[in-house]
Amino acid sequence: MTDLLDFARGPALQFSLAVFVFGVVWRLVSLLFMPRLKDKSVKRSGAKPALIAAVAEFFRRMLPKPEFAKRTRFTTINGWVFHVGLTIIILAFAPHVLFFKSLTGLTWPALPNIVIFAVGGVTVVSLILALSHRLSSPVLKLISTLDDYVTWIVTITPVLTGLAAASHVGLRYETLLAIHILSICALFVWFPFGKLMHGFLVFLTRGEMGAQLNRRGIEL
Amino acid sequence: MNLIDNTPSALTGVNDSLLSEIADRLGEFAQTGQSASIDLRSLPMSDADREDLKERLGHGEVMVKLDVAGLSEIWETSFAGVWWIRHFGGDDQIAAEEINIVSVPDILHAHQADARAAASRLSKIIQEERHHG
Amino acid sequence: MAEPKTLGQMLEARGISRRAFLKYTSYLASSMALGSVAAKAMAENLASARRQSVIWLSFQECTGCTESFTRSVSPTLEELIFDFISLDYHHTLQAASGEAAEEARHIAMRENKGKYVVVVDGSIPTKLDGAYSTIAGISNLQMLEETVKDAAAVIAVGTCAAYGGIPAAAPNPTGAVGVDQLVTDKAIINIPGCPPIPEAMTGTISYILSFGKLPELDHLKRPIAYFGDNIHDRCYRRPFYERGLFAKSFDDEGARKGWCLYEVGCKGPITYNACATLKWNGGISFPIQSGHGCLGCSEPNFWDKGGFYKPLPAPIRDIGKVAAGAAVAGAAAGVVSAAVGRAKKKSAMKEGKS
Ligand code: SF4
Ligand code: SF4
Repeated sequence: MTDLLDFARGPALQFSLAVFVFGVVWRLVSLLFMPRLKDKSVKRSGAKPALIAAVAEFFRRMLPKPEFAKRTRFTTINGWVFHVGLTIIILAFAPHVLFFKSLTGLTWPALPNIVIFAVGGVTVVSLILALSHRLSSPVLKLISTLDDYVTWIVTITPVLTGLAAASHVGLRYETLLAIHILSICALFVWFPFGKLMHGFLVFLTRGEMGAQLNRRGIEL
Repeated sequence: MNLIDNTPSALTGVNDSLLSEIADRLGEFAQTGQSASIDLRSLPMSDADREDLKERLGHGEVMVKLDVAGLSEIWETSFAGVWWIRHFGGDDQIAAEEINIVSVPDILHAHQADARAAASRLSKIIQEERHHG
Repeated sequence: MAEPKTLGQMLEARGISRRAFLKYTSYLASSMALGSVAAKAMAENLASARRQSVIWLSFQECTGCTESFTRSVSPTLEELIFDFISLDYHHTLQAASGEAAEEARHIAMRENKGKYVVVVDGSIPTKLDGAYSTIAGISNLQMLEETVKDAAAVIAVGTCAAYGGIPAAAPNPTGAVGVDQLVTDKAIINIPGCPPIPEAMTGTISYILSFGKLPELDHLKRPIAYFGDNIHDRCYRRPFYERGLFAKSFDDEGARKGWCLYEVGCKGPITYNACATLKWNGGISFPIQSGHGCLGCSEPNFWDKGGFYKPLPAPIRDIGKVAAGAAVAGAAAGVVSAAVGRAKKKSAMKEGKS
């Protein structure tokens, strides 16, 4: 006799984490070894070392250019809100700390549940706003693909199921916990193959971009 | 002796709502005669809470000790109609504890069946005494 | 033997008053959260009920459940249950043994056909036709089948009888199962726990006696009155859980201060039992109050949930090796797809030149 929770904590987690690790490593390695055209242009004088340019670009892109600030205010702020929110929930909720500890042996202090609840609520609202913005902006809607929607679903589901599990509403706790873990398994499986992969790729893409622009002497 | 005392010993604040519940029920009983009972054992009360409630309700005019399958104690609190009932089980542990809001708690009444048994026992004794006498 | 007298008449002869009935049912009604009106009705019904014939079958077990059932030493309130039931067969408790004991079982079955209650403790081994456990030359499997046939109801006490329990823990060498995997055409009540709380056993039996029906059961056939509450929801350490104050080991500062035991493996959040409310040994304490996390003993499979000291959010299967394997495979796949990319580029460039 195995129940849903045993399945989630056992085979489901094992399988999805394996897919996650496999996918992420596969995509990173193939990207790094990808054939690249050699930039035959002469490096501009006064160009910074590539690594510095790469890091600088990563941070520069965290805030919009002043001239766009007004137009992109919503996307910027909302984007920040749910990214920070997700980070706090994932890293500072006590049961999550235990999860990471069981995987890595590392541990750190957690925040009280009430704080996590508040952050969780804000994050859900922010994610819903992000989707409604996507749906209401004609341009954004046009360029959205299935990937965007699946990514949104696998991101918000763990937050919702997590909030339900932690507050014991709806179903019995063991069922809620099992559903929550399974929703994370779905996220793990989707991660390397969809938009979520930007969690890793953002460092490469922004860095590469920074290095190239810098070499060509483009100041942004 | 326990080296570590993990017993919840602080006041949890449950008594405030409990007292207003008792007041409501007592008011109802005074008006309509509707009796009520509140089971103390199923409430998340600490030992300190129990003592505190006992103190706040106080002792009234009636105090009864029962010797029924172990000991029981019943007293009317300082509020007429509000009774504290405490049943002991084995090892003098409290097996049940409740507040009754009623004119006389049920268990104090002599049951018809017990009275019948007693009546026949008594008449038997009298008969025997006559016989011997 | 069929009792002609009611329990009231029977006990009256022994000087046990109706007050004792009422006190007993007050105690049980409180343990079942039924209220004092129900206690009065229960007392009346119990007094006019007949003594219940009970056949107790002990299979693959440790006798802990019987110990728990007969726990109290002095003649007390809790012991009244033995006046209400007639334990017609219980091979640990009865004086008779061997042929005579089996004879007692058969007599009880004949005389109370369709009316007796079968209590089972211990799991039933099914491998090798049940040869792993036999009593008086017949297998547990056979004895269960034979005895249950004319029973009014079956009560599986203890996690072993309910779900297979410890004998069924992986790799389950004897093929142990619980009663409800074998008996499908009878009313079954599970009273799991390792052992079950005594009140849960006596309360359920008394309930059946006085109301003539089974109490309300949950999806695992457990009486809701005793198994409706989640330990975590009723735990007095819960405020510490909410504030994020956890004992990290059994001898640290947090443990001494009575903080939440979640990190040292407490299974309270997924366990349904009355430990946190009724407590043990007449309400003295319960494991969490004594400083140990809940093991989840009233849940199926509690033995195989990845370890008693492993916190709930931890995966129960080995992740490290699998993840390392996946990383190696991923790297290999990455190198291959990069090589394929290079080859494609080369041939494209060649084509472009020619
Ligand atoms: S000790 Fe266990 S049951 Fe109690 S609050 Fe902590 S996790 Fe929940
Ligand atoms: S605290 Fe948990 S493990 Fe312990 S007896 Fe109760 S249900 Fe079983």
